[in-house]
Amino acid sequence: MSLATILNWKSLQAREARLAWALILPTAIIVFGLVIFPAVFSVWVSFHDVGLNNLNDVFNAPFVGFDNYRKVFSDFAFKFQPGQSWGAAVTSVVYSFAATFMTIIVGLIASLLLNRPFRGRGLARAIFLFPYVAPIVSVAFVWRWISDPRPSGVVNDILMNLGLIDLPMAYLATRGLALGIVIFFEAWRYFPFAMLMILARLQAVDSTMYEAAEVDGASTVQKFWHITIPELRYVLGAIFLLRLMWTFNKFDDIFLLTGGGFGTKVLPVLTYEFSFRLFDFGRGAATAMILLIILVIFMAFYVSVVMRNVEEE
Amino acid sequence: MNAEPKNFIAHMTDWISWPRFIFSLVMIFFLTSILFPFYWMVSSSFKTRAEIGGREPVYIPSALRLEAYKELFDPEHESYQEFAANILNTFKVAVPSMVITLTLAVLGSYAIARLRFKGKNFLLNSILMVYLLPGVLLIIPLFAMLAQVGDRVGFEIQDNLSVLVFTYLAQTLPVALYMLTNYFRTIPDEIEQAALIDGCSRMQVIWRVTLPLAVPALISVGIYTFMIAWNEFLYALVFLNDHNMFTMPIKINTIFNDPSPRPHVVMAASTIMTVPIVLLFLSMERFLEEGLTAGGVKG
Repeated sequence: MSLATILNWKSLQAREARLAWALILPTAIIVFGLVIFPAVFSVWVSFHDVGLNNLNDVFNAPFVGFDNYRKVFSDFAFKFQPGQSWGAAVTSVVYSFAATFMTIIVGLIASLLLNRPFRGRGLARAIFLFPYVAPIVSVAFVWRWISDPRPSGVVNDILMNLGLIDLPMAYLATRGLALGIVIFFEAWRYFPFAMLMILARLQAVDSTMYEAAEVDGASTVQKFWHITIPELRYVLGAIFLLRLMWTFNKFDDIFLLTGGGFGTKVLPVLTYEFSFRLFDFGRGAATAMILLIILVIFMAFYVSVVMRNVEEE
Repeated sequence: MNAEPKNFIAHMTDWISWPRFIFSLVMIFFLTSILFPFYWMVSSSFKTRAEIGGREPVYIPSALRLEAYKELFDPEHESYQEFAANILNTFKVAVPSMVITLTLAVLGSYAIARLRFKGKNFLLNSILMVYLLPGVLLIIPLFAMLAQVGDRVGFEIQDNLSVLVFTYLAQTLPVALYMLTNYFRTIPDEIEQAALIDGCSRMQVIWRVTLPLAVPALISVGIYTFMIAWNEFLYALVFLNDHNMFTMPIKINTIFNDPSPRPHVVMAASTIMTVPIVLLFLSMERFLEEGLTAGGVKG
């Protein structure tokens, strides 16, 4: 290569890089300004006393050290009090894990249903996606209306006609039951995500393995446990991680279904209440940081222990 | 086979087997539990207040009564909700979000997919961070920052739909960038190289070669960003106070929390908000399905 071509090539590369920066600059500014800086800034807020009174002069807010964190840890809505209330941290963890497990199991069943050909499969598949595609506000309020404690609430009517309950129940306004219904709702709404990921993987499984197993006289159940599940292991791990993360961060669902009452107060709802009901932004930011720390610790553990084992096998 | 006619039961016993029986049972269970809430939403929206608040639920409305829709749209109604304004507000937020996101994301993701530059990985990682950060964490600093900026520059941050669109970019842009970058990477580089050799500039290549090839991805990313803005609840709840500025989700929440409960009106508004989205999804399913697992619907 002659010197001229090298120089020319270099200047071409420099031109490309300049163009790249020109193309990406607006996006980079927005991502920096609306995501990275706010994320760092919220750490700062969590160590300062920020309220409505000093919101227009936020950068001079007084430094309070770990006060906000101390306030959160001693708050009765956050604390774990055996026999009385789980507190937001424990509720969040229980809720996210249970909802994620349920979502994956329902998604697995749904994907097995849709994996074999039958008439109307395309339509069934489209219908199965409805809960995931519909707006959260609509589906949350439909669930509230269906489980309404008034006599016109349809779940109560059906269960009473079947003789399963004697009196109408307030499903979303009963401690314990409310958490169960919310977990149920999560599985109903988010199973299509798991279903689609599992279906894609199922269709890539080598069919000769099933044929070989049949020759060896394996039953359907044996084929499921010894071929399907091992083949799905990696994708199930990925779904678990994503769903857990998103469920843990989720605000809308619980806020709309129960408003965070009756033993369903999770960390995102508590963050909202501190910030936009009490307008104590410092305490809100501290709650959000605690939420993030729990999440990061879990993810680090999961990626380094669970996922590594999957890869090694 | 003899031609002796078989009765229905005989046909059934021929067809049925244990796996088929279980399959049908589970399928029916799934279809009912998915479709019933949607049926209940639409049918409740056509009930009267008497049917809604009666001593037992009305499973099939006696007629398509428009009482609930009148409350939403008819200025003559005693508790007229001006819902048309809320629909308009939702469009005013969703359409600009979609257009701005698509424009910026096309340019940005092309650069990420095709061009070499320093800091690319840092940028990509920070984009993916959005998938990890909870919305409630970002809204506190955003609120404080925008209050500060608005105070200096002189604009209201409450009840300002432009501010809302701006904050939505934080949610839509990373999703769009991620999806479009993945798509651009699947377009063979050789086609673009050929156009470059023929004397096209990079911008011409993007406009004449890459974009026409990326139409399916553009449609699906466009619809996803539209849906994110259409459905968004938390940021709108924080930034909007005035009933005239409410988007649909906040308005529905307000009607639901009204001291005199009117579920039929809530269901009518929910129907109006849901049906277009579900129809849009059904008609575009072949473009959209892949995006569902690629993070198009975050959460």
